[in-house]
Amino acid sequence: MSEWQPRILAILCNWCSYAGADLAGVSRMQYPPSIRVVRIPCSGRVDPLFIMKSLQSGFDGVLVSGCHPGDCHYISGNYVARRKFAVLKPLLEFIGLEPNRVQFSWISAGEGDRFAKVVTKITEDIRELGPATRLVKKT
Amino acid sequence: MKNKKNSVLVLGAGIAGIQASLDLAEMGVEVHLIEGTPTIGGRMPQLDKTFPTNDCSMCILSPKMSECARHSLITIHIMSNLEEVSGTPGDFVCRVIERAKYVDPVKCVSCGLCEAKCPVKIDDEFDMGLRKTKAISRYFLQSIPSEYTINPNYCLFLTKGVCKLCEKVCPTGAINYQDKDREIDINVGAVILATGIDPFDPIGFGQFGYHRYSNVVTSLEFERMLSASGPFGGHVVRASDEKPPKKIAFIQCVGSRDESIDKNYCSSACCMFAIKQSIIAKEHSKELDASIFYMDIRAFGKDFDKYYDKAENHYGVNFIRSKVADIVELPGGSLELRYTFENGDIQLEVFDLVVLSIGLQPRKGSRKLSEDLDIRLNKYGFCHSDTFHPLETTRPGIFVCGAMNGPKDIPESVVSASGAVAGAVKLLKLERHDVSKGEEEVIEKDVIGERPRVGVFVCHCGINIAGVVDVKNVAEMAKGLKNVEHSEDVMYACSTDCLEMIKERIEEHDLNRVVVAACTPRTHEPLFRDTISGAGLNPYLFEMANIRDQCSWAHMNEPEKATAKSRDLVEMAVGKARNLTPLKRLPISIDPEALVIGGGLAGMTSALAIADAGHDVYLVEKESVLGGNMRDIFFNLDGSDPQQFLAETIERIENHPGIRVLMDSNIGEIAGFVGNFRTMLTNGSGEQEELTHGVVVVATGGSEHKTSEYLYGRSSRVITQKEFERMLHEEKFPPGKLREVVFVQCVGSREEGRMYCSRVCCSKSVKNARQLQSKKAKANIYFAYRDIRTYGFSEQYYSDLRNSGALFFRYTPGNKPEVEMVHPDDPDSRIRVTLFDPVLEKDVVVDADLLVLAPAIDPPEENLKLAKMLKIPLNSDGLFLEAHVKLRPVDFATDGIFVCGLAHSPKDMSESIAQAKAAGSRALTFLKKNSILAEGTIAQVRKDRCSGCGYCEDVCAYAAIEIDMEEGIAVINDALCKGCGACVASCRCGALDLRGFTNEQLFSVFDSLEIEAVEGIL
Amino acid sequence: MNTTNELRKSIKALIAEKKVDLFLAWEKGSLPLTATPLFVSTEDQADRAVFDVTCGNNLSIYFTKDRKQFANRKVGIAVKGCDARSVVLNILEKQIQRENVVIVGVPCDGVLDRKKVLAKTDGREVLELIDNGETVTVKGNGFDLLLNRNEILSSSCLACTYPDAQEYDVFIGDARGEVPNESRLKEIHDFQALSASERWDKTRNEYERCIRCYACRNVCPSCYCNVCFVDQNDPKWIGSTCDYTDTLIFHVIRNLHVAGRCVECGACQRACPMDIDLLMLNRKVAMEVKDRFGDIAGLDINGKPAMSDFREDEKQKFIMG
Repeated sequence: MSEWQPRILAILCNWCSYAGADLAGVSRMQYPPSIRVVRIPCSGRVDPLFIMKSLQSGFDGVLVSGCHPGDCHYISGNYVARRKFAVLKPLLEFIGLEPNRVQFSWISAGEGDRFAKVVTKITEDIRELGPATRLVKKT
Repeated sequence: MKNKKNSVLVLGAGIAGIQASLDLAEMGVEVHLIEGTPTIGGRMPQLDKTFPTNDCSMCILSPKMSECARHSLITIHIMSNLEEVSGTPGDFVCRVIERAKYVDPVKCVSCGLCEAKCPVKIDDEFDMGLRKTKAISRYFLQSIPSEYTINPNYCLFLTKGVCKLCEKVCPTGAINYQDKDREIDINVGAVILATGIDPFDPIGFGQFGYHRYSNVVTSLEFERMLSASGPFGGHVVRASDEKPPKKIAFIQCVGSRDESIDKNYCSSACCMFAIKQSIIAKEHSKELDASIFYMDIRAFGKDFDKYYDKAENHYGVNFIRSKVADIVELPGGSLELRYTFENGDIQLEVFDLVVLSIGLQPRKGSRKLSEDLDIRLNKYGFCHSDTFHPLETTRPGIFVCGAMNGPKDIPESVVSASGAVAGAVKLLKLERHDVSKGEEEVIEKDVIGERPRVGVFVCHCGINIAGVVDVKNVAEMAKGLKNVEHSEDVMYACSTDCLEMIKERIEEHDLNRVVVAACTPRTHEPLFRDTISGAGLNPYLFEMANIRDQCSWAHMNEPEKATAKSRDLVEMAVGKARNLTPLKRLPISIDPEALVIGGGLAGMTSALAIADAGHDVYLVEKESVLGGNMRDIFFNLDGSDPQQFLAETIERIENHPGIRVLMDSNIGEIAGFVGNFRTMLTNGSGEQEELTHGVVVVATGGSEHKTSEYLYGRSSRVITQKEFERMLHEEKFPPGKLREVVFVQCVGSREEGRMYCSRVCCSKSVKNARQLQSKKAKANIYFAYRDIRTYGFSEQYYSDLRNSGALFFRYTPGNKPEVEMVHPDDPDSRIRVTLFDPVLEKDVVVDADLLVLAPAIDPPEENLKLAKMLKIPLNSDGLFLEAHVKLRPVDFATDGIFVCGLAHSPKDMSESIAQAKAAGSRALTFLKKNSILAEGTIAQVRKDRCSGCGYCEDVCAYAAIEIDMEEGIAVINDALCKGCGACVASCRCGALDLRGFTNEQLFSVFDSLEIEAVEGIL
Repeated sequence: MNTTNELRKSIKALIAEKKVDLFLAWEKGSLPLTATPLFVSTEDQADRAVFDVTCGNNLSIYFTKDRKQFANRKVGIAVKGCDARSVVLNILEKQIQRENVVIVGVPCDGVLDRKKVLAKTDGREVLELIDNGETVTVKGNGFDLLLNRNEILSSSCLACTYPDAQEYDVFIGDARGEVPNESRLKEIHDFQALSASERWDKTRNEYERCIRCYACRNVCPSCYCNVCFVDQNDPKWIGSTCDYTDTLIFHVIRNLHVAGRCVECGACQRACPMDIDLLMLNRKVAMEVKDRFGDIAGLDINGKPAMSDFREDEKQKFIMG
């Protein structure tokens, strides 16, 4: 029996992180098949509710990734996003959500290896936590 | 023969060639982009990061590369050479040789099976030989075009007649060993050369041990080592023992500023390049110790000095002003540097790794090219161009840009490329065109109100996907999803026959949404959108699931889990597709006139560039004369006459039928947006006039800083360089002898309050010192400086001045030259200057007959007002801040507004001319269109929900949202919105949404998977 | 000094000098322990104005909830420290214009939480309340209680840092100045010291009680969307059940919506019929906003609201890798 595979939603900006994820594949870097990617134009598009909803619908974790500071294709979308995440993350931890369930990262189009590493790390961390229960709505 | 006189040939597909091609194509010009290597991109893809923002090089370049590849007016000829240009300007015939590729690009699906099987390993040129590639390969992973090519020098079959493994494994039969070189003739109106540079090869520099010592690398090799996609995955390790180095030395000016090897020019970019690399290396490892050995730090560009300061004071990079004499390799591979300080002291220090900051030199083969094309080179072998025509070769109709005619960094290359385009279009006869034409040819099916009927196509991509993922299973699963009407697996979704089949299925099953599960939307979405568009569906009714790049390739050893993931990805794609709606790109009309603000050299040049291309220009100048700062420039380092050029330019402006000069005029208000600006102008007599125009060029200039340092204003013997130049010109020297003349550099620059280098002062002072020597042979010159920044070809004049006996004294901000009047009560008294000589380590006192100051260049105060009016940003120094410091150097984030000249940052006449032409050219990319199309994926407002709080307005980087204060609601300007969605996520009220990425569409993705609370083991 | 008298004088003067067309103040409520909003447009009406411990209402709420009525009118408003911050936010958020508002600051020693008083009287109706300063006397049928003031003040007031208006045109009486208030954060630090699962259990216990009456939102001076996201159906932002995941998501998102905008007036908590400790999350968010962005909601009339702004060099340790 293989080990439990969490399902993690990855919200990636089109210009950097999504491209970095592609590069990881093109370079045949191997990482756990845990993430489910949603492509959006910019990390600035991410409403904190996206993260809450995904947790509620049963994803074991959420990763949001955008361009590094200064690299944003839309000039400052990632800075706008960063403020939201900077409040959301401590708030989620405050209410008792496990800190590693929700993560943010900056991954550039050239950082295929970083993408693979980030996915590996978040997967391992979530595997340690086990399946999500808090915030998951039971139907 | 292709007979298109309204076309241009661009040679070289580096960033300059790409930019020139894109600008031309946007103006409606057909472009032939000729590139010698198998990919476009040039040097930039080799770079990890770019200074001074540490932007990821590939991140910023790849959108431009794909735009270039996609543009219908750009034909890319890879592996091609330009052999000959015959004919006359406006009607050239170019002979191009397209070398054999041995792989049919139409059949190749870039699956990479051939490369995997190819037995021949060769040095990877892209990775500077630090990694191996194969005889059949892609130049680099993100090459465009992405198809494979065979290197005939190494291919076993082509050289020895054996192997053919690639042919055997190729699933599409794309290998063609019979491929031949092709000769084609292209008829064009103009030619733009952008062949770039070669890095200096330091193999001849025995004292640094390059190639003998494994831990001595060039800066370009080090760049590949730093790169995450490089040969070491971004882990900097030494070649000798694969251990991370703890101490790195950067040696500057290897192959630059060196008379002994005929390279008495400064390569301009290497100082910043080394600073960047030292910062990045330190970011990789905090404990790392980095030292830069240099003569002068030439951080002369916009925001460069701040970067330099950050490297030194924040990152702790050591800057050591000294000359490295030699390097000795120690047992174990470490390297002992012997270096000499200014005062002659010698020091030995051991480093783990040495990076040689190699200079830029002319391309190999540029001599032959110059002969083939009949253009002149300068004495260093760069393409010749003169001060006032910096983008023209010696042959009319052939233009030059990028570093081909002298060292340039990326933004300067981009500027020169756009600038060269302005010259080229003058030779063409361009009509305004309609971009929306063509898009509406197929009648679009109205799907609004229809139940979603989704078609799913799951691609095998040969074995790229199907070798890992059970595609049949995925396709079968999709059949059971809500709203899925049809689902099947296909061999190559992107192949021509499959695209046709998708169209048939749309017809057959009356599909109104299409999902393709295949490679990646980044490369293939445009193709599939075109396809469904051909079948009468709105192109936005398409969604892609990435099951190759982000699945099969990343989970090659876990087929079952990869299949499970693919199922989820398809389910999510269908979830989104279900809620997709057709989007329209609305046309925005463009007024054909331009407003140019500022009648200096930059403003006038820009106005001429636009007017020469057939557009009316309003040239607004607040003073009563044209010419700006150039009225005070009388000499040039190369001997050309600025006043003559200025007079000619003013005459052309005044007699140009397309230019209306509005002198003594002030701008009261500018309203509107791209294509539709309205400007209220007040002239000297108080009369008001409203102008309507499509674009704005900001060329408000700058002015000499008013200093009170060094007794300026209190002594008649203390003057500025500007005043000195006029004195030299009029030959009205102060009474008495003029024997001792002291120059002080950086007056007001590079210190608190003005943390920038004013760039031109070093060269200007050198120029005026040389003038003085020619007029007063007996004058002794003392030059107080911090770093001499005579970059590029000005370096030779600096060494001339040094060789002529002028004395140079380096000072630091804490130890500025001290001045006092010899007779304090006499304003005409000579000035006693005390200079510290760091070579002799003692003070030198000079009683100066003249003290000439080089004050900073200040931006004009009215920039602030203009910035507010146009909603464009200023940087912390009060200079206009362009959209992107590297790749959009004359644009603003707000469309339709451009910047050039000193308003952007200090620069010399040549650079101002190039940038002004670039601004003109960028303006023409709009003016040459009757209308542009707004983005399809843009934000929209639900008025009933908006409370007008203005957060959206604040977070919008494009000034695309404004709060209507009467109604208290947000109003989006479709023309300016770029569709990032930052406003949408910042809207608490749910009043905003982003078309194409609506809340509803995204919610349906998050909710699409049926995940049980505690799901079992897969 | 009698604040009520001074306030009346001030209102009369503003009306007499035609500096305002309308003045928003409080008057004695029909029930004991309550004050209700008073709209003053004549000098006579000014005599009904009061200011005491019952004046919990944040009057700025009218600027946003009845926006049209205030367009192009000169309006005066009496404000406590927290109310003034709301007014500043209203100005920053373009709901009113500074030049159209005359802000009159009143010295505030805290307002009472009716629920706390009723807990002391075991639910018996209070007919009269006498403010003695350190203590208050509450009287009802057959009882007469002397209570320590701190026992009945709103939790928000006990932890108040800015009792005085920081932005005003007129200030009545003596300002209390900034009150360094450690207790405001102590609760948060204590909570943070618990393990994640202990915090989760406590959070869940709190928010499981929510009956989605939306009283918290309705009294909130910073909640003025035309249609709250929970009430939107196209698309539906969150589930409409009283499942604790739905209620908690509502509160977390509401907290984020008032990030950098919550003035910690405590109105939500006073209004909550289920006694949920709503302020805790608000304070946590305010703490993060202050630590990270250096911003305190509604203090700086020349600033930008925190969540509509950014700086390039913000702390980002929470970013992975």
